[in-house]
Amino acid sequence: MNWQRYIIAFVITGAIFATAFYIANRLDAARVADIQSTQTAISIDILSTETQFELLGSLDCEAISQGQTLSSELSDLASRLSVAEQNLGINNTQVVSLKKQYSLLEIKDYLLMRQISARCRNFQPVYVLYFYSNSGDCPQCTQEGEVLTYLRTTYPDLRVYAFDYNLDLPALKTLIALRRVDDTLPAIVVQNRAVVYGLKDLSAMQKLIPELKTLATTTPEVH
Amino acid sequence: MYIGTLILYACLFLTLYFEVFLLLSFLERRPGVKNARAPRHYPSVAMIVPCYNEERTVAGTIESLLALEYPAEKLSILVVNDGSSDTTGAIARGYAARDPRIVYIEKENGGKYTALNVGIAHTQADIVGCLDADSFVAPDALLEAVKVFEDPTVMAITPAMKVSKPHSMLEVMQAVEYTFGIFLKKMFDNLAAINVLPGPFSLYRREVFERIGPFRHAYNTEDMEIAFRMHRHGLKIANAHTAIVYTTVPCTIPSLLRQRTRWSRGFLENSRDYYYMYFNPRYGHFGVLVLPVALVAFFAGLYSAGFMLYKAVGYVATRVTDALATGIPPHLPAAHLDWYYLNTGMLTFLIITVLSMTLVAILLGSRIAATRLTLKSFFAYFAFFGLLAPLWLARALFGAVLATQRVWR
Repeated sequence: MNWQRYIIAFVITGAIFATAFYIANRLDAARVADIQSTQTAISIDILSTETQFELLGSLDCEAISQGQTLSSELSDLASRLSVAEQNLGINNTQVVSLKKQYSLLEIKDYLLMRQISARCRNFQPVYVLYFYSNSGDCPQCTQEGEVLTYLRTTYPDLRVYAFDYNLDLPALKTLIALRRVDDTLPAIVVQNRAVVYGLKDLSAMQKLIPELKTLATTTPEVH
Repeated sequence: MYIGTLILYACLFLTLYFEVFLLLSFLERRPGVKNARAPRHYPSVAMIVPCYNEERTVAGTIESLLALEYPAEKLSILVVNDGSSDTTGAIARGYAARDPRIVYIEKENGGKYTALNVGIAHTQADIVGCLDADSFVAPDALLEAVKVFEDPTVMAITPAMKVSKPHSMLEVMQAVEYTFGIFLKKMFDNLAAINVLPGPFSLYRREVFERIGPFRHAYNTEDMEIAFRMHRHGLKIANAHTAIVYTTVPCTIPSLLRQRTRWSRGFLENSRDYYYMYFNPRYGHFGVLVLPVALVAFFAGLYSAGFMLYKAVGYVATRVTDALATGIPPHLPAAHLDWYYLNTGMLTFLIITVLSMTLVAILLGSRIAATRLTLKSFFAYFAFFGLLAPLWLARALFGAVLATQRVWR
């Protein structure tokens, strides 16, 4: 019996496992870096719009509203963050940190958008604040997320701001308190209206957001 | 990490370990290439052809034996009709009347092992070979096999088995599987751990039967049992990878399932009878590596298939439930071309590695026996084998546990 071959095969197999583990981790790290870089770009965009807004006031609403492309960038960031959550886990410290930064960017974009829309009549976006939990206490949140993702894909100008209700972030807690959102999730705020709770399917959401009819869709119009 | 996923990782580790072990074995001792050297001597050879209702193929089998490049006076062919109810007997009798090398023996139906034993009792040849009546030997197969018997310690020989004229998806899938088998057999030969002496063209020194007795019923897997018994008695089995035999394979899924269920169940039941060989260094790599890995692979195959099925059913059920709850019309999920969205988890890399090493083993098998495989056959193997194998594994386990009646075909 040549036991040496058994040991060598074991070492090689272990090395293959270690390599697979290393590559998978490196790619996850690259994903985190990718999200950080996108977040940096978005925060610069927000800062730029804020500065532009302060410089011009309401004098040039056309120029300001044309620069509002952040919604799609935030949406892309959300789907990237979702992949990172799946790979690294929802309790991973890097994921939680990225999520906090993402939520802050959302809040900043939301506030800026509201400021601009108050002064510029040609910029009246349709927006939804969506509060969810992925801690296992909201079985319907995944389904509500799918409804909103579908709406967001169908109506690219619909601005959906999704927030993890349980995220330990003072700014988010303040937003939750201001909008009087309790922990009966999923919770949805459309425009400036009252909070609605529970799963709302596609047709219910379309009724909740009558403004959708004014938005362009990605599907061709039927004449 | 869930316990289910952890077990899957353990299965992958074992599979990789086994593949690495075999590839190391290949690197240590590469199979030699075929050469034109004639055998140093020509022992007398008796080829036994057990037949039961083989009227479609028996003529081809006998013709292939008659075409063997071997001295006529040293070769005899014993066609044993195991109580066929079709025209097998008439066909074989016709050949026996025309060629003195052929002896026709008729007996009541008693199973393949009884036909082989009757054939063994009718010959005094130095080498006794078996050839299923649905298989065909290459003209130089016996010459190549006899050269391996020049090593006096070799007591039995297995050939390189190829699929005869594969056409359908199921047949080409098996052609790849048999090519993988050629690699496995050669590596098991390197390890002195060949686990089966298949019906198509296995050859034995006559003294094997004198020392360890004749074939046994062995749950309709007499070819496996005799290999176990030979290891038990320390008799060496070698692989003659240049001795090529072509065999007919099942061409329908039910017949394939029946055949493989018989093989798999035979393995389980013979393992039970020879349990003491497991992890026993006295039986070399056969006891320490081949038997335990084969048994674990049996259950790992079932577990992995069950795990994948559970995940797939869970996914479909969730999608259907979500679609009903959300009212979202059916649509394709968003396609992301960005690398970011690729599944690059550890499991993905390990599965790719296992499949790649399997592919390497198949290609080496193809090179060892000069087999040509098409893209279609690779597609059939990688797409369907993993779906079909769990079916016969489950049936075999079910049959072995409940001791249901065994079916030959």
